[in-house]
This record gives sequence, structure tokens and C-alpha cells, in this order.
Amino acid sequence: MSLDYSRLLYDPVYAAIGVPATMDGTAITVIDDTRPKVLPAGTSDVRGTGPGAFVRIPELEANEIARDDWQDALLVFNGRSWLVRSYELRGSPNGEDLGEVRFLLKAVDE
Amino acid sequence: MSDIRESILARLVEVVATVPNLRTVKRNDTDYFSALMPAAFVLDGDEDVVSGNEGSRPSNRPLLVEMSPEIHVIEQSGTIGSDITAFRRDLVKLVLADATLNSLTGSNGAIQYLGCDSTFAWLEKQWGGLQIRFRFKYPLIVNDL
Repeated sequence: MSLDYSRLLYDPVYAAIGVPATMDGTAITVIDDTRPKVLPAGTSDVRGTGPGAFVRIPELEANEIARDDWQDALLVFNGRSWLVRSYELRGSPNGEDLGEVRFLLKAVDE
Repeated sequence: MSDIRESILARLVEVVATVPNLRTVKRNDTDYFSALMPAAFVLDGDEDVVSGNEGSRPSNRPLLVEMSPEIHVIEQSGTIGSDITAFRRDLVKLVLADATLNSLTGSNGAIQYLGCDSTFAWLEKQWGGLQIRFRFKYPLIVNDL
């Protein structure tokens, strides 16, 4: 018997720490994954912020946000606006289409 | 008292500060973060005695030495590219042509551009780093220190 990870894992996690967001104006739920980032710069390091967000792929599909629409989409959450510059599929034991995607974000140019 | 190494490094910071469009210029500060960019950091270089100058007496005779400081330029923008190239171009021109730096190296000395390395990645915006290396050859006059 396979476990339903959407019901057992993602639903309670997103209910607990997910925040409301919009993706190109469509309401979704994301987990803010903005984190500190350190990059090598010769003999030193550069410290900065790597903005990111997790979203459930079934929720994107339910809202008719297709994979081709992800790149450069405007993602607004926690009072900040970002553009999707890239993404990582996180998969799930029930298959990639029932898993998450981590959006890698960039600042919206002024 | 005269320490040519220190004079060169202090002047190098002054020269780097004349590069257009830099927000921050610091010496030996390796705490690089987004709010400082575009920034340039002058890092004191290692010093070595030029081969053939070592060994004979008196111990405090003048020596010819070399120092290789690095200048790190970091920039963050929507599209990294020609801005980093412009910083490199300005730095190479200004350092090699600076009359004070050339004078400090003396008649047996020299300033050489050794090259540069570049690094690119993403933070909130695209980030680019440039490590520019110079070599300064100058006399170490022990009795003047």
C-alpha cells in the first residue's frame, strides 16, 4: 500500500507554514525559502540572500499555471515581489507531478 | 621613516577610489555583502625578495622585493556584463599609468598587470566578481624603515 504524501505530508506542512501568494495574479500557497547565501569570490566570500519559494505542483496545475508559464512569472508573497529565474523539481515518492517545485527567484528590476 | 610597501598600498586605495561608479572602496576588508555593491576591495599582497637579492652581507643592505596585491571588484545588477568590463578597464589604466605609483617603485622597480579572474552567480540579482592582480617591484631600504 503506497502512502499518500500529499495528504500525510504536504497538506499539513503547507497548512502550518505556507503563506498566501500570487503567481502572475493567481492565488496560491508557498513556503518562503529565502535563505542566506555565501559565494566564493577569489580569496574571500560574498554574503547575500538567495530568495526562493516552494510550491506544490498539484496546486499549480489546479490553478492552470502550466510549466511553460513558470519562467519569469511574478511571485508575490510576504510583502515582496520576485520574478522566477529558474526552478528545481523536488519530486515525491508518489511521482514528480505530485511533488513540489522550488522556485529560484530574482529581484524585480526597478 | 619610509615604508615603500605601505606607501604603494595606501596610494593604490586612493587610485581605486577614483574609478567611476564604485559605491564602496575598502582595504583588507573581506566582508563582502550586497549593500556595498558595486564595491572594490584592495587586499595587501604577499611580499617576496626578488631572486638574486638574498643572502649577502650586510644584512641591512637594500633589497629588491615584489608584492602582488589583489583588487576584488564585486557588482550586482540585473544584467552583469559590460559594467564589470568597464571596472577592469578603468583599474588597469589608472594603476599602470599612475605617476605616484610609478615613482614609488623607483628606477629598478616596475608595475605589472598579472591578469584577472572572474566569478558569476546569483543572489537577489545577478552577481559578478573580478579579482585583478598586479605585481609591484620596488626597493626595500631597510635603513629607511
